[in-house]
Amino acid sequence: MKMTFPHMGNPIIYKKLIELLGHEIVCPNKPTKKTIELGVKHSPEFACFPMKAIMGTYIESLERGADVIVTSGGHGPCRAGFYGEVHKKILNNMGYDVEFIVFDSIHKDFKGFMKNMMKLVKHSSLLKVYKSFRLVYKITKDIDYFEKIIQTKRAYEINKGECSKALQEIISLYDKVQDHKELEKIKKTSEYIVDNIPIKYVEEDHKIRIGIVGEIYVVMESSVNMKIEEVLASLGCEVRRSHYLSDWAEHNIVPKIFRHDREEEILKKGEPYIEVQIGGHAKETLGHIVDYKEKGLDGIIHLLPFGCLPELVSQSIIPRMSREIDMPILSIALDEQSGLSNNLTRIEAFVDIIKTKKKRKIVS
Amino acid sequence: MKKVYLGVDIGSVSINLVAIDYNNEIIFKEYSRSNGQPLISTKKALLNLKDKLDGNYEICGVGTTGSGRQLIGMMLGADVVKNEITAHATATMNYVKDARTIFEIGGQDSKMIFLKDGFITDFAMNTVCAAGTGSFLDHQAERLGVPIEEFGDHARKANRNVRIAGRCTVFAESDMISKQQFGFSKEDIINGLCEALVRNYLSNLGRGKKLEPPYVFQGGVAANNGIKDAFERELGAKVFVPENFHVMGALGVAILAKEFIYETKRKTNFRGFETANIDFVPTTFECSGCSNVCEVIKVEVNKEVVAMWGDKCGKWTNSF
Ligand code: SF4
Repeated sequence: MKMTFPHMGNPIIYKKLIELLGHEIVCPNKPTKKTIELGVKHSPEFACFPMKAIMGTYIESLERGADVIVTSGGHGPCRAGFYGEVHKKILNNMGYDVEFIVFDSIHKDFKGFMKNMMKLVKHSSLLKVYKSFRLVYKITKDIDYFEKIIQTKRAYEINKGECSKALQEIISLYDKVQDHKELEKIKKTSEYIVDNIPIKYVEEDHKIRIGIVGEIYVVMESSVNMKIEEVLASLGCEVRRSHYLSDWAEHNIVPKIFRHDREEEILKKGEPYIEVQIGGHAKETLGHIVDYKEKGLDGIIHLLPFGCLPELVSQSIIPRMSREIDMPILSIALDEQSGLSNNLTRIEAFVDIIKTKKKRKIVS
Repeated sequence: MKKVYLGVDIGSVSINLVAIDYNNEIIFKEYSRSNGQPLISTKKALLNLKDKLDGNYEICGVGTTGSGRQLIGMMLGADVVKNEITAHATATMNYVKDARTIFEIGGQDSKMIFLKDGFITDFAMNTVCAAGTGSFLDHQAERLGVPIEEFGDHARKANRNVRIAGRCTVFAESDMISKQQFGFSKEDIINGLCEALVRNYLSNLGRGKKLEPPYVFQGGVAANNGIKDAFERELGAKVFVPENFHVMGALGVAILAKEFIYETKRKTNFRGFETANIDFVPTTFECSGCSNVCEVIKVEVNKEVVAMWGDKCGKWTNSF
């Protein structure tokens, strides 16, 4: 049995977990142009973009020998909930003999979740399982912590590309961690790495902070979102994004009583704009916008996959919201043919607006 | 010698070049097709400019905008490289200080820009749907056998209202054919097309936004009175078309370049008219570094590489 999973942002977490539980693994490659082409070719035309990109990722991993796919389901009336099934059907039709393990939220379907879990932990003792989870959870937290530092520093880096390189280095360090003792050591090394990135001085008044919100796959996966975080950094903006893996893990896996649940809070903040959960991340998107406003960010970029229904709903609410809370928001739809230069024009103009808005505030 | 500032707006289909003086008066302007060859067409425009200025003017600042702004900026030694939104709005405010909404419709794309107190507050861009751009009209004009320049006059002669489905060029076309068969005149149809374009443009780009006068209408399509009339009817307000409506991007970035030079007191980076004789050789190659197989563009001068872009990973771009 060789397991694989979708590529979204940073694969190290899933990779570590599955490895620690003693399975063989085929780590998915970062989606490339070829991946996307492959996915588009084998997906229904009107499926949304993440389904296509993930389709391509699966095919590539199966070609490299994987035969079990572990993935998460969806909740609410968004098509993503069916993607496990659809992917499976298509792959079977293509002649791949592949098993799917689809995790739905533990809070909604405890039995199903545990059944899947048993498949994953077959060979391990309970203690080992507990230890593995704890270690991976800590790694996730650490990596997210460092990523946030990088997202801040990148705006001011003196040597272009150095921050992204540092992050890669840190991730590959964490990739080797086997136990808690090592974890401490690596955290120190990583602190040292980020502390030593030279940055230029910018006055507090002139700093620009942008939040990226929207559907989780396009927000997390830089290979399909035009590397938007790096683009924004090159225009001098600090970046935060609405989804980090540790938040997701906390919300979906950690039992309610043990967690300080940011996601619950975010959902509440979205409530005045969308009352019910309509699936996907529509409600979170709006909640995050409110949250970022409260935190004093200067603008929001909203990413949605072309054909994503929940985000289409949030997109239609955004203009009113932007007026009401006085927050500049730019929506960008992404698909396999996203025109790069057009989107760059948009992003540049958007940052211009924020800059002049800030300047005026300082003057008056 | 008098000082002038140069602005170049280079898109995939056209190139605009203007030279302005200190008071933003246009000394020279040129509009031509770029035929997908930005380097060659810029050189041509530059040589024309050189003839025209005839040694009486000195170029003290250069700005570029449009989708080819990076490349042309590098070639000319631009002081300012700006996006189209900011450039267009800057030019508009030169004519209508208190403008609140700008309609910018070109051949291939269209924009809507919102302003307040002389600052851009919001904008929208259309890039995928042809039904809200000039090419929609071009195409239908050809069908009807009416030169696009005469569209406006024809539209004004319409005496019956005919509503043409304007959501999408495909539907518009079949609707137009059936309306023709119903016996509507060419004039009525043309007027209907203008209205369809305006409706489509407003609902596509203005969705959820508040449109406020004064309205300014610019871009190549603003030459067409039929569209201007349709806008005024739809909005119930006057729509202003500025004098140099078709070179606003170039004008705007020229103004920005001038301001930049004044504010920073720097000397321009302009490479001089000799650039027109330098051979900028762009080539492309497929990188085999990974399965992205990016098409990387490389520009060389005298066998020396001066710029590269198009790579996803930054391996080539960052080598500068
Ligand atoms: S330029 Fe970079 S991303 Fe593109 S093919 Fe080469 S190595 Fe891959």
